[in-house]
Parts: sequence; structure tokens; C-alpha cells
Amino acid sequence: MDMVASLPAMKLDRLYANPFICQAILRSLPPLAKKYVLEMLYIDGPVSAKMLEEWVLADGSSKHRIALDRLIQLRIFTETVDRKKETSYRLNPTFQINLRKHLIDREVLPREPMPSNIVARLPSLEELEAYALGQWECFLLQLINSTQAEKLTNFSSSMMKVFQRGLLSQREKEASRLTESGFQFLLMDTNAQLWYIIREYISNSEERDIDPADLISFLLELSFHITGEAYNMNTLTEIQRHMIKDLADLGLIKLQQGRKESWFIPTKLATNLSVSLTDSSSRKQGFVVVETNFRLYAYSSSKLHCEILRLFSRIEYQLPNLFVGAITKESLYNAFENGITAEQIISFLQQNAHPRVAERIPSVPENVADQIRLWESDLNRVEMTPAHLYDEFPSRDVFEAACDFAREWCGLLWEDSKKMRMVLIYQDLPEDPTGRFHDFKQFVESNFDVFKWIGLLIILAQGSCILLAMALRALGQNHGSNYYSDDEYPPARLPLINHNLQPPSFVVGDPHFPSKNDAWNVRIHSQT
Amino acid sequence: MVNATKGLFISCDIPMAQFIINLNSSLPASQKFIIHVMDSTHLFVQPHVSEMIRSAIADFRDQNSYEKPN
Repeated sequence: MDMVASLPAMKLDRLYANPFICQAILRSLPPLAKKYVLEMLYIDGPVSAKMLEEWVLADGSSKHRIALDRLIQLRIFTETVDRKKETSYRLNPTFQINLRKHLIDREVLPREPMPSNIVARLPSLEELEAYALGQWECFLLQLINSTQAEKLTNFSSSMMKVFQRGLLSQREKEASRLTESGFQFLLMDTNAQLWYIIREYISNSEERDIDPADLISFLLELSFHITGEAYNMNTLTEIQRHMIKDLADLGLIKLQQGRKESWFIPTKLATNLSVSLTDSSSRKQGFVVVETNFRLYAYSSSKLHCEILRLFSRIEYQLPNLFVGAITKESLYNAFENGITAEQIISFLQQNAHPRVAERIPSVPENVADQIRLWESDLNRVEMTPAHLYDEFPSRDVFEAACDFAREWCGLLWEDSKKMRMVLIYQDLPEDPTGRFHDFKQFVESNFDVFKWIGLLIILAQGSCILLAMALRALGQNHGSNYYSDDEYPPARLPLINHNLQPPSFVVGDPHFPSKNDAWNVRIHSQT
Repeated sequence: MVNATKGLFISCDIPMAQFIINLNSSLPASQKFIIHVMDSTHLFVQPHVSEMIRSAIADFRDQNSYEKPN
């Protein structure tokens, strides 16, 4: 929903014209915000902020603040300050009208499920779920390692590059490796992964001239369809048809073709889109059993699960439907070096626990979880901070005063009042909170040869500029000295360069530059 | 007059501190890096030795590991 909040005001109003979006956004609000919206639904005028605060008990004021901020961010509430400097809130009129309409007459989807006489072989719900999971896994495998995927999806390679942007480090010489966020992405649960991919897809849509508001509205509409029912393709607009193909590759939709018509069937992944990320009532079957002797048994035949478990455990055997591994210190050190944290590993194991151990509390044995955390902290036993040591203070008062000052500025690391010494944190450049300078430095370092060539090119261009200028000056003087007059009138100022000649179009770093220069020189010689 | 010395402030647990002190005493006098030992868990060392200390600790840690041959 942050994506929705970041859209500009005009697009948000257009989004709110669709009653399904209003409902989806209502579902995603925090509970207090939902209550406020429903209470204000039938109030037409502004409500003062004081009255809103009276609805909340004293200890709920922080939740109240959070709810209000969220509502203002999504432009559901508009805040007005009147002359008496009192703030009051009003519900967004488009949102209000649409939500009221939705409450009164249960809004029907723009399309209805097709009758069963036309639709021949509708897949059962299990088949549909298996299909969706299969597609999603294939997509993920292709994302992380294109050699392992058996069948490639229809995404063009540029689309895959967009998805891989945050997850893999793209280097031309070596094979692309997963970055830290890539590893964490693999260990997230399916809903979070799906939302990440869809966010990338939507933010990339602007480059392909598709309005993100249309995308978001179609996706949210899709989440209100019934899983397993077929909907006719000719009820979709042109843009939506484009999107349907991409969504089918991701496993959100299954496309089928009959004799005359073609239809699409939304899967569970699509209808779960509008469910908030925190409550995942439709949890898929877990498959991992962790034993107290640090062994891992995963009852799954999917390659993706095998890859993920290999990230942090040592594989012992792999049978067609069983993966046996062991969690060892070395395999965990490997994982920690790649940027995965112990908490992520433990939560992954807990979320995917096999149903036979899932009822046990805790589903991952305590000794295993504790040992994983201990091994992680073993890597960080020593903390080093660049600092300055100050000693030989002239007197105790000066020392005390300096200590207090340093404590105020939170720079004091250590003080020893017996020997009158203290240590302060050292900072040379001011801290860059955005981290952009660091990113820029990394970018330059990583593409150093490209930058070398760019630098050389710039210097060459400047050198040739100087040469050209000198040449022009010399030629201009030639031209001028040929002209001598006995006229009474002072001679009209001749242009230094003959304007009949086309000046070469000057582009810095233009590789064709040398040849153009020659052409120009030839023309000058032919003139004079 | 107050003296300011630039360096690295290390805070760790006691065994690691002893390890670093031992590492320091095993080096020849020109390469000794500890400027000051504050107490059993804090040290002040020269700024350029952070990588060396980290790699020495990693080596010490790897000596304890055994990887079963596949």
C-alpha cells in the first residue's frame, strides 16, 4: 500500500473512483484507522481534531497518531486548518461516495464467471494450486539461476534484469551472484516475495508507457474474483490483456482456450493479493523437520527448496521426494558470509515446519535455534571503533569538564579518571545519512575501467577543442589580413568564420569527431 | 598540554583481549600495535591493524573447524 500512497494526488483520485480499490485499501488500514473511516462515512462536514481525540482512551494516543498519519498519507482524510487555528478532518469525497455505494448495493464485478456449458475442462482447485506454485517456482528459479530452470518463462530478458536488479549483482566477467538482499528475498514467505516482484513490475511499468494506476487497479480488482472460476478474456481492455500474459507467467492466472473463446482463471496467489501481509491464513504445507541432532529432513521434490536449504545447511542425501541435510558450523558460516542472519534462518525453518512438528512449541528445537544464534555472535566477538585517545590533562577540572562535554555529544567511549585519560569517537567526514555517497563511491569503483575511458575521452575532447580553437584563430586572421580597403567608410566587420560553412555539430566524446574535423579542414582549404 | 592520539578502540570479551595481547607480544618490537591496555576487556591500538586482527581471529577460529570430506 505504500506504492498507492506514493502516487500523485490526481492519480489517487482516479483510483478511488473504483469501488473495489476503496474496499481493498480499507482492508489494508490499521484497525483504528478502519474504525475512523467507517464512523466518518456518513458525516458530510469536517470533524474537528479534538472530537477525534475524544474517541480514544489516553493510552491509545500513539496508535491514534499512526492511524491519522496513514489516512492522511493515503489522502483519505484531508486536513484543514481554519482561522481559529483548529484542525479538522474530512473524508475524501470520491472515496466516501464510492464506499457508500459499495455498502448499499453489493457491487458486481465488471465480469461474471462463464457458464459451465462453454467452459469445458475447468481445473480443480488442487490442480490450480499446483499449477500456480509450479509457475511461481519456475519463475523464482529462473530469477536466481537461469541454468537450473527446466522451462523458461516468457519474460523477456530485459524484464528479468529489472527483477534481478536488487537481488543479483550483475558483473560482466563473473557469473552473477546473489546479493545479501537476494538471499533474504529467498527466505521470505511467498506473499512477501510476490509483493516485491509486483512492486518492481509496477515501478518498471512507467518505462513501458503503462500507467501504474491502471496496473494497480487491475491487480486489486483481480483479488476480488473467485478462485477457480473462469472469466472471459473479451471483457478485458487492451492494457489488461498485456498484463494478463505477464501475470500468467508469474502464476497468478491460468489461461485456457476453448474452441471459440479464451478465458482466464485466477489462482489463489491472485486472490490473496489484497489480504494484508501479516495474516496469512492460507499457509501452504510446511515440509521441513529439524531434529535435535542438527539434522534436517525436507519432504519436498522442488528444486527451489533444495537450493534454499543448501544456502545454510550441508546436503547429505537427496532422494526424489526427500532432502536430508545437516546444519553445521561451516555451512552456517557460509550463510553468514553471504549476509543471511540467524533470525532469518530460524524464522524460515519455523514457517515451513512440517505439519507433524508444527504443533510442537517450539517447532524448531531450542538447542538448534540457540546454537545458530551463538555461532552468529561468534563471528562478532571484537568491536573496533576508530577513536582518539586524550591524556595528560593539566588538571582534574579540565578533565571533568571535557568528559561532561563529550558525554553530552555522545562521543565518549571510555574514561579513566585515575589516570585522567579518555577516548572519543573519531569522525572525519560528516555522516552521510542517505548513504548515497557510499553508493556512488561503490558505483565508481565497480565500473572503474568505464570511468577511466570516460575520463580519457573528456581530456582528449578538451585537447582537441584547444587545437580547433587555435586553428580557427589562425585561419580567421588569414582571412582578415587579405582584406585591405581604401574606402571612406570603415569596413564592415567581417565574421571571423565564414557563415556559409556549416559548423560541425559538436558533441563531447563523439567518436566520429576526428573524421568530421578533416572534412571541415578540407572545405576551408578549398575556399581559400 | 593535552595529547591526542589517533587509533582504534577495541572492546571485546576477556579471552579475545588476551588473544590480541598475545598476538602483540609475538610480533617484533617495530610492529607492536597496542598503544594502551585500558582494562581486561578494552584496548587502544594503532589504526591500521584492524584487518590483521580480524584475519588472525578468523584463522584461530578456523583451526577449530573440521570439514567432513565428501
